[in-house]
Amino acid sequence: MYRSKVLAGLLALGVTVAAAGCGGEPEGSPGTIKVGLLASLSGTYQAIGTDMRDGFQLYLRTHGGKLGGHPIELVVADEGDGPPTAVPAATKLVKQDRVSVLTGIVGGGSAAGVYPVLTEAKIPFIGANARPAFKDVSRVWHTSYLSQETGASVAQYVRDHVDGSVYAIGPDYQGGHDQLKGFTEAFTKAGGTLANADGKTRFTPFPTTTNFTPYFAQIKASGAKAVYTFYAGTAAIDFVKQYSQSEIKDLPLYAAGFLTEGGVLNAQGPAARGIFSVLNYSPDLDNAENRSFVAAWKENHDAPPTTYAMASYDAAAVLDKAIGAAGDNPTPESINRAIGQLGQIDSPRGAWQFSKSTHSPVQKWYLRQVRQDGRALSNMVVTDLATVGK
Amino acid sequence: MNRVDAYLIPALDGVAYGLLLFVVAAGLVLSFGVAGILNLAHGTLYAIGAYVAATLSDGSWLALLLALVAGVAATTAGGAALSGMLAPVPRGDHLTQALLTFGVALAGGSVLVMAFGAENLPVRVPATVDRPVDLAGHAYAGYRLVFIAVAAALALALHAVVTRTRAGMLVRAALDDPDMVACLGVSPARVRLGVLAASGALAGTAGVLGAPIIGPGPGTAATVLLLSLVVVVLGGHSGRSSVAGTLLAALAVGEIQTLGVALAPTAAPFLLFAAMAAVLAARSHGLIRRWSPA
Repeated sequence: MYRSKVLAGLLALGVTVAAAGCGGEPEGSPGTIKVGLLASLSGTYQAIGTDMRDGFQLYLRTHGGKLGGHPIELVVADEGDGPPTAVPAATKLVKQDRVSVLTGIVGGGSAAGVYPVLTEAKIPFIGANARPAFKDVSRVWHTSYLSQETGASVAQYVRDHVDGSVYAIGPDYQGGHDQLKGFTEAFTKAGGTLANADGKTRFTPFPTTTNFTPYFAQIKASGAKAVYTFYAGTAAIDFVKQYSQSEIKDLPLYAAGFLTEGGVLNAQGPAARGIFSVLNYSPDLDNAENRSFVAAWKENHDAPPTTYAMASYDAAAVLDKAIGAAGDNPTPESINRAIGQLGQIDSPRGAWQFSKSTHSPVQKWYLRQVRQDGRALSNMVVTDLATVGK
Repeated sequence: MNRVDAYLIPALDGVAYGLLLFVVAAGLVLSFGVAGILNLAHGTLYAIGAYVAATLSDGSWLALLLALVAGVAATTAGGAALSGMLAPVPRGDHLTQALLTFGVALAGGSVLVMAFGAENLPVRVPATVDRPVDLAGHAYAGYRLVFIAVAAALALALHAVVTRTRAGMLVRAALDDPDMVACLGVSPARVRLGVLAASGALAGTAGVLGAPIIGPGPGTAATVLLLSLVVVVLGGHSGRSSVAGTLLAALAVGEIQTLGVALAPTAAPFLLFAAMAAVLAARSHGLIRRWSPA
């Protein structure tokens, strides 16, 4: 196994050297800009990563392969499961491929690990998913959201529509803490009461928890009138399937949208019916941008687009505008300056703009419910929620 | 609400979980106790059963039955293949056995990921039991209730086989004095083959039936191996384990994972291993030292 890895490494080296050799002379037609896309094309987050890659490529395909009038050479690299694979891949994109801009990145750990590489090379990063805390965001932009915003946007709605206390439960890791904190802080501020003993969110060991039955018994005993949660991936499948057959199956379940987003909804099947979730996107949003986005997406995919695909599609849209405004000879520096001066961006999620302080979207959030849509289950918009971001 | 009432469902779920672990761990106890083989690929055999269940399940009883037949056939063959690989390794050379079976587990795990992908696969249970059942005012997953009944029947059958049949007698004899059994004309190679095939069949049965509880995914083999090793240690780690001791230990692990978590959720991450350490400190030979047939 070890030997084969070494061999594969040598081969890869040979191929890249050869590629660099060829790339030196023609250099593409004048004005070609290299964009690096780093996303998980293997491992745990493969589904999210491929959605992000496809979202970006879809924008390119529907805009003649150009952004801001310049032909784009997209270099895709595999982020894998985290920093051990993401950092070398990003280093290769920056040092060997010499990309002018980087986009993508699924995991918070990867984003934090890649950050020093980007700061050193002074190239802008348009993140399309996880957003960990950064010291300096002058070259960092996100088309996704901040973790706390998901729960914060739905808190007032839950306060208004649930007659009684709400039980908060989530996975015990940084992303889970941020997601749940966003909800519980805004919810108690709005006058709501948590059903949890001593008012503290229940965090379940991650990723070891596969059986949620003991927690459901606690929720039942707490007398809660509804549940708020955030799980993603395998844990989301287990949680939803077990919830639907538990003694709290009749309690309304509110969740951050990832609980029922993308492939997990398929695996959950009818168990997910009726779940309320909050997200910045839903494929049935009624606006012109979204209609053409969904139609183009469905040409190559069976399932409707996810928020991950949409955010990456928007990263391309941001670059389209910024490169167009960055002068005849766009440099990483001028592109970054242009992003800072963008106004509203028309997007499948509705119009949004970058916050001046956090460099992440000021955007509207939507309450969705899992309902039957033709033959498949889908997240359908119930109502608009707050516009969040500052 | 009644204090005890709230813990009824977790306690029942602990039985389901415990019985699942019992079926898996019984296979491990068999190979370790009788053939003296430390099989670290046991969790992989469970995973194979679970993947077969995920692939074949379509919500009908027939599919479940088909999955059971196919899954058990595959894991029995897997056990037999392991026995062949272990043939040159002398009895009692646990380090070599562990390295060999661990290698098989690593390679097998990679092959499973290549074949089925890196995601956890959904498993469909028969539609008639894919709904909550009312139990004294509580709802509980119907499939798990059926599973409890089936696994309890399996435990009884296993007990009967060990105490009442000729094969069981051989197993007990091999436990006590393998050399004497060999002298009596029973080939140790045949005992090893039979034991590992039976052990594989148990892992496969647990994998197919338990797939809706511990589902197939990249982490399944490791999770199942770890839990069943804990059961083996708690059940009596001297290599002279028994059906009853294993059952008791498996149920204890099941309850710790469910009732324990419900009672002390903040301690959930380390409850199991704290309990294991406590048992080993108090009784270094496990919960029951040795169970002698009546």
